Amino acid sequence: MIDLIILVTLLALGYGFGSYAESRHYKSIIARENTLRHIPAVTSRFPPMNEGSRDAALVSGSVVVSVDYFKRFIATLRNLVGGRVTSYESLVDRARREAILRMKAEAEKLHADIVFNVKLETSSIHKGRGNSIGSVEVLAYGTALKTDQ
Amino acid sequence: MKYSNPQIPEGINTSKQHPLKEFFMLTAGVLGLIVAAVLLLGFFADKLAHHIPFEVEQRIASKELLAESDPGPMQGYLEALTEQIVKAQSLPEEMTITVHYVDDDTVNAFATLGGHVYMFRGLLEKLPNENALVMVLAHEIAHVKHRHPIRSLGRGVVIGLALSMLSGTMGDKMADQIVSNTGLVTSLTFSRDQERESDKTALKTLMALYGNVVGADQLFEVLQEAEGAMKLPEFFSTHPLSEKRIQHIHAFGRELAHSTTEAQATPLPLDFPDWLNLAADDQGHE
Repeated sequence: MIDLIILVTLLALGYGFGSYAESRHYKSIIARENTLRHIPAVTSRFPPMNEGSRDAALVSGSVVVSVDYFKRFIATLRNLVGGRVTSYESLVDRARREAILRMKAEAEKLHADIVFNVKLETSSIHKGRGNSIGSVEVLAYGTALKTDQ
Repeated sequence: MKYSNPQIPEGINTSKQHPLKEFFMLTAGVLGLIVAAVLLLGFFADKLAHHIPFEVEQRIASKELLAESDPGPMQGYLEALTEQIVKAQSLPEEMTITVHYVDDDTVNAFATLGGHVYMFRGLLEKLPNENALVMVLAHEIAHVKHRHPIRSLGRGVVIGLALSMLSGTMGDKMADQIVSNTGLVTSLTFSRDQERESDKTALKTLMALYGNVVGADQLFEVLQEAEGAMKLPEFFSTHPLSEKRIQHIHAFGRELAHSTTEAQATPLPLDFPDWLNLAADDQGHE
């Protein structure tokens, strides 16, 4: 009985804080994406050829997001029956976009106009706890370029 | 080449389904599956365990539990009653009942593998008459008659194995516990069914021996008192609630058109309290 109470409390806490943090994060992501829209981030391996380049620098942004108890519980049950792990999808989506945003923010500091050869890397931080993934890290990096207009 | 950076619509990489909806569907689905699986496995394990010969049961019974009880007047009295009950329940010949009087305060009695029945002093002290005592003894012997100990064991092994296989695949400790607790709580329905079956057989035995079922309800009143405030909902218990068992007895009595209040209960032997204390003194208790 006490187990059940603890579980429900943990789930409620996870759901409450988790969804609050998520909706706040999404708002901030969308706002910052709009302000940084003038710097395109492209995956092409070579710089745009038609514009003379002046300066290039490595820019990177990384983020670690933790899963909340509620999301993990859903994912655990998902493990048994299969299907889309929707609870993790929004988590990874946020992490990716945040990492790109941080990379772009660094590019903006360098007054860059474009970031090319953008790559994303992810790793999970679970501290040897087997298949229960605690947090996810996303690292975005690319080459920032100042171009002559 | 001109690069542009349009705003990408939201919700491409994420699901629009509300997380709570997914949570309830998943939980209900998984728990429902576990309940169904446990009931199914339990049912078949029960059916199969029934075919294990009694002889095998006697062989695997734990040796430490089987120490011979000290012969005393109480032991002799219990053995005499056992003999009558065994006859009344018409047990198969190979099914031998060994009754053990345990000098201990515990308010309990139980039957285990190999036809061994344990009666604790704590319970015997509280019984008001012989009928109530026979109700306990007949109930435990009925467990043996219906092969309940070996069936519980078989079921426990199968369900335990299945649950541990399932919980091995779960990453989360809490989710793991929920799964195994759901399984265990579900498997208690079998235990309660067995108690009801034994109650029924015991009442028939009382009827055969005394021609009435007086005293049977008194036993459960004693048990109810012993439970005290420690009462769990039936859903979480191995036994049906005492109130319900008393109700069943009254219903049984009415069916036989023998009001439980009319007939007189058979008193315990006059020396009964001495036998209790005698055994206690021998052991140097109190």
